[in-house]
Amino acid sequence: MEAGHQAASVSYRDVTKRYPGQTEPAINHLSLDVPAGDICVLVGPSGCGKTTAMRMANRTVEITEGDILIGDTSVRDRDPTELRREMGYVIQQTGLFPHRTIADNIATVPKLLGWDRDRTQKRVRELFDVIGLDPGLGDRFPSQLSGGQQQRIGVARALAADPPVMLMDEPFGAIDPISRERLQNEFLRLQAEIQKTVLFVTHDIDEAIKMGDRIAILKQGGHLAQYATPAELLMAPADDFVEDFVGADRALKRLALMRVRDIDLWEAPLAYVGQPTAEVKAKLEGAEVPHALVVDSERRPIGWLSDADLRGEMVPQKPDTGPEPILDLDDVMRDALADLLQTETQYAPVTDAQGRIGGVLSVEIISEFLVSPEAKVEEHAAVERPRDV
Amino acid sequence: MTLALAKLAPLLAAVEIHKRTGGNASCVAQNKAFCPGWAIDNFDRYTTPLLNHLLIVLVAVGIGFAVAFGMALLSHGRRWLVPTFTGATGVLYTIPSLAFIFLLLPITGLGWTTAIIVLSVYTLQIIYRNTVAGLANVPAESKEAGLGMGMTDRQLLWRVELPLALPEIIAGLRIATVSTVAIASLMVFANVDTLGAPLYQQITFKTNIVIAGGLTILMAISFDLLLLVAQRLLAPWRRSSREATA
Repeated sequence: MEAGHQAASVSYRDVTKRYPGQTEPAINHLSLDVPAGDICVLVGPSGCGKTTAMRMANRTVEITEGDILIGDTSVRDRDPTELRREMGYVIQQTGLFPHRTIADNIATVPKLLGWDRDRTQKRVRELFDVIGLDPGLGDRFPSQLSGGQQQRIGVARALAADPPVMLMDEPFGAIDPISRERLQNEFLRLQAEIQKTVLFVTHDIDEAIKMGDRIAILKQGGHLAQYATPAELLMAPADDFVEDFVGADRALKRLALMRVRDIDLWEAPLAYVGQPTAEVKAKLEGAEVPHALVVDSERRPIGWLSDADLRGEMVPQKPDTGPEPILDLDDVMRDALADLLQTETQYAPVTDAQGRIGGVLSVEIISEFLVSPEAKVEEHAAVERPRDV
Repeated sequence: MTLALAKLAPLLAAVEIHKRTGGNASCVAQNKAFCPGWAIDNFDRYTTPLLNHLLIVLVAVGIGFAVAFGMALLSHGRRWLVPTFTGATGVLYTIPSLAFIFLLLPITGLGWTTAIIVLSVYTLQIIYRNTVAGLANVPAESKEAGLGMGMTDRQLLWRVELPLALPEIIAGLRIATVSTVAIASLMVFANVDTLGAPLYQQITFKTNIVIAGGLTILMAISFDLLLLVAQRLLAPWRRSSREATA
């Protein structure tokens, strides 16, 4: 397969895996469609078969029944080694070869494919650029790199032959939480460019929600409990198992999927510098926000009017209370809430890209939001389902 | 026993045939710990044994390595063979070297063949065990990654597993070589003129003991250092990881 391939869809068709000598299958009639270019996260408790499910895609685990299609081609019709060379493969402990230099590690699949030296070297240089690491690291050995750098190299190695599909088995599992967050963000940015079809295994539901376009939750015995987008999963868990697995804080998790612009903001009574305070007081009657926000002529927030300010004649140039924190319409809701809580404020002005006021976010708006979908979920849960053993 | 042996191994019968001539006569007469004059005058009598010793070590370790390495590859992926091979080489390793020579006499007689068989067999256990251990210690994730990226079993073995096992394989080779250098002295009982020959011929002459023994030790140390250097050169990633953590 030549470089520059489009992502391919991945389709599990009623796939079952039985290991000899075991009565219960490890994967039980798994069917799911992953559209080309999507990240599908396989998530579940340990022993649910998520890694087994992923590995059947490149036949490092053989399928017992059913089929997996990459594009239109069954993996069963392919030579396993050829198939694997067309799929990027990233694993938890990086699996970088300790005895090979970084450049040689990245060049693994191109070498297996028999690329010539020039083409391979050119591709390796490209990949350093893609993952944002110094090509000077090429001569080092993996043990000389930090864990985060090693994991980036692992991703670069998987991308070397520009595969249409990537398999990632807990790729950020062994990384400290701060680096993990950074690597996750980096990968999402990278994915926005490269648009691979990714099968991503994790046991961490937060990571699944963050990384997945779609999430497949597996439970013990390789049963698919639910296959849905992160938002669907959080709003309407299919059963008690999913509800438990997603966690009691799933409403909070939904905040991580939303931006401030997705919610109805309050309108603040605006006050312009030099305006008579009497006019402002009139506006405050019955306003959603009981304080007036001072803005400049471009409607950029300057600060909040205090009661002392209101006792003056005119709206002052410098109100007593600064406007901080100022949120952006594109901020993630979870971060916005964190800002509010951290600064111990009830209200925060939200501005657009030009810094102009777009509304006010309050802790109250968020708590109302958190309650409403909860209510829906409770309604949903009221439709009793047989509890899983 | 020595007399009976001497009949078997003519080299041993040459006891005291070399006159203790040359150098400082009184030093030799008093059998001092080391007579340098005598050593300089008589050094040529050690050259043939030295070269023989060197040759037999190289050949025996070479054959032993080839066989043990082959066994290790054979039992790689056939785990049930490992206890069999470990047991078999272990039993061979416990045979006392003199007994081993006599056991072979009816079959291969006196001479190089017998000596090389005995020496090679003794290396099997060490080289085999180290090679198997080296292959077993290859990180599972390296193998998983290799297979997952589309290496065949053979490519995985030669490109990943064996290079990573190399330091341990060479470590086994070092021990095997050093012990072969030591045991090769005994091959005078198989009538091979190794450094053991002058040693046994004038076992009471201290200068002789110092020279023959010293050359043996020197050879052992040289092989050990040589292989240590090879180990470092062939496994640069180990060195650099040490530098990185330093």
